[in-house]
Amino acid sequence: MSRFVFRYFSEVFRPRYEVGQFIRQCYVIGYLSLPLIGITGFIMGLVLTMQLRPSLMSYGVEAQLPVMVSLAIVREIGPVITALIFAGKISSGIGAELGSMKVTEQIDAMEVSGTNPFKYLVVTRVLATTLMLPVLTILSDAISMYGSYLGVNIKGHTSLQLYFIQVFQTLHFGDILPATIKTVFFGFAIGMIGCYKGYNSSKGTEGVGRSANAAVVVSSLLIFIIDLITVQVTDLLGLN
Amino acid sequence: MRKKTTVQNITLGVFVTAGLVILVVSLYLVGKNQNMFGSSFHLRARFRNISGLQAGNNVRFSGIQAGTVGKITVIDDTSIEVDLLVNEEMKPFIRDNSLVSIGNEGLMGNKVVNITPSRLPGNPARDNSLLHTKPDVNTDQMMEAFSTVGDNVEIISGGLVSTVNRINESNALWHILNDTVMTQELHLAVINLRIASGNINQLTLALSDVVKDAQAGKGAAGAIIADTAVAGDLRAAMANVRNMSEQSAVLLRHLDSLVGTIQNNIDKGDGLAHAMLHDSSMTGRVSRSLLQVENGTASFNEAMTALKHNVLLRGYFRKVEKRKKGSGQRDSSLIAN
Repeated sequence: MSRFVFRYFSEVFRPRYEVGQFIRQCYVIGYLSLPLIGITGFIMGLVLTMQLRPSLMSYGVEAQLPVMVSLAIVREIGPVITALIFAGKISSGIGAELGSMKVTEQIDAMEVSGTNPFKYLVVTRVLATTLMLPVLTILSDAISMYGSYLGVNIKGHTSLQLYFIQVFQTLHFGDILPATIKTVFFGFAIGMIGCYKGYNSSKGTEGVGRSANAAVVVSSLLIFIIDLITVQVTDLLGLN
Repeated sequence: MRKKTTVQNITLGVFVTAGLVILVVSLYLVGKNQNMFGSSFHLRARFRNISGLQAGNNVRFSGIQAGTVGKITVIDDTSIEVDLLVNEEMKPFIRDNSLVSIGNEGLMGNKVVNITPSRLPGNPARDNSLLHTKPDVNTDQMMEAFSTVGDNVEIISGGLVSTVNRINESNALWHILNDTVMTQELHLAVINLRIASGNINQLTLALSDVVKDAQAGKGAAGAIIADTAVAGDLRAAMANVRNMSEQSAVLLRHLDSLVGTIQNNIDKGDGLAHAMLHDSSMTGRVSRSLLQVENGTASFNEAMTALKHNVLLRGYFRKVEKRKKGSGQRDSSLIAN
């Protein structure tokens, strides 16, 4: 695994750059994941607001609902949930796609034809997941906020302007930047695990399924481990 | 194929741009709230205790978000200087005699620095001005106040317990409360009071109507009050009554003297009246004379009856009767018509 990662970093900055393939992967991995991420983000914001309301009402701080929900979404729930869904959709897809290419010897064929399969298949995908997950997380957070705004207005009345004023009065750089930066690591991990499992797939079609499954499981676990590490780091840096 | 790729590229560009725009706008709004963009000026305030105030806490001028707390410096063992980064837009409104205090955003919220304008006129605050401070109501003071209130509540509740015990031990009070007859009587008394108040209300309304009518000039009282002509007539009538009473007094004096004179004449004179009043034998004589007159009248009636039956005068009396009857029939026919 470490050799695979090292090879990635050695290949990513070395020409020739597969720009077309990279853009295509960005489109497939990023844009085509937006509907799923958007719907889950919207429901997440709405449900979180509705679930938090009774607890805040018991303390008489119902007015703090936008503040609490926005902090929870931006700092933790938005990045982690988006990454988990992204892992479920993309990591398994990459694992299955590269695995089937591996067992059908398409990767070997690419090597024979003079194309660098690692650069073409792995670097473009890992780079796409690394750059697209932060964008998806930002959009998911925005959609979650809107869902939360609707959730606040189900049993109350708060204008959109007041809602976002309250949200941005609460948020600090320490809330947005670490959460956004850690999604880069999430994306990298998801792409890397998916590619590794697929690239090293074996034992025929059975191995393809196993690679896809392992890619999802490992990348999901890795998301939580990275999350734990980034929280510790941001805490040490005094950004919490 | 190329067209499809172009569309995909454009879509991807929009997607990425939207994400970046949201990120940039969010960071801008957060930075704007922390006065990272736009110009600001510095104010200073020195406190004995900043009660957990931190750099980055909000500064409010009359409740409006005006800036953030900058550097916090310990000057000596009794004073801590707080640097306030205040928006340049607020500069014309903040005077150098404004008061700075540390408060809370809500009961459990973050600390906040409040700049309160003074009622007295002052000069606009300059950059790096040192403003006066007033001690904040910190949590310890609040707890102390709560403790005092708690003590008072304890005293009051002790008094209430004593009062309730005295009420419970009072037989007279429970006797009154258990007396059902008294309850009924009180109920009846209340009903009577209600009826009486209703009657008084009606009476008041009626009196009000009377007063209104009188003020409007209706009725005798109204005419007396409102009609000036009636008042004049009344005044004239009263003058006439007064004149009449005066004349009556004069008349009575004359009558009194006349009666005195007649009385004197009767008493002193020799007339029939004097004889009738003072001579006792006169009464007997008058009685006898009246008896004789009565007897004479009866004899005359007999003589007249005898004359009616006399042959010589019978015709005359018949003519007289016929004439009477004729006049009686004419009268009855006239009445019938």
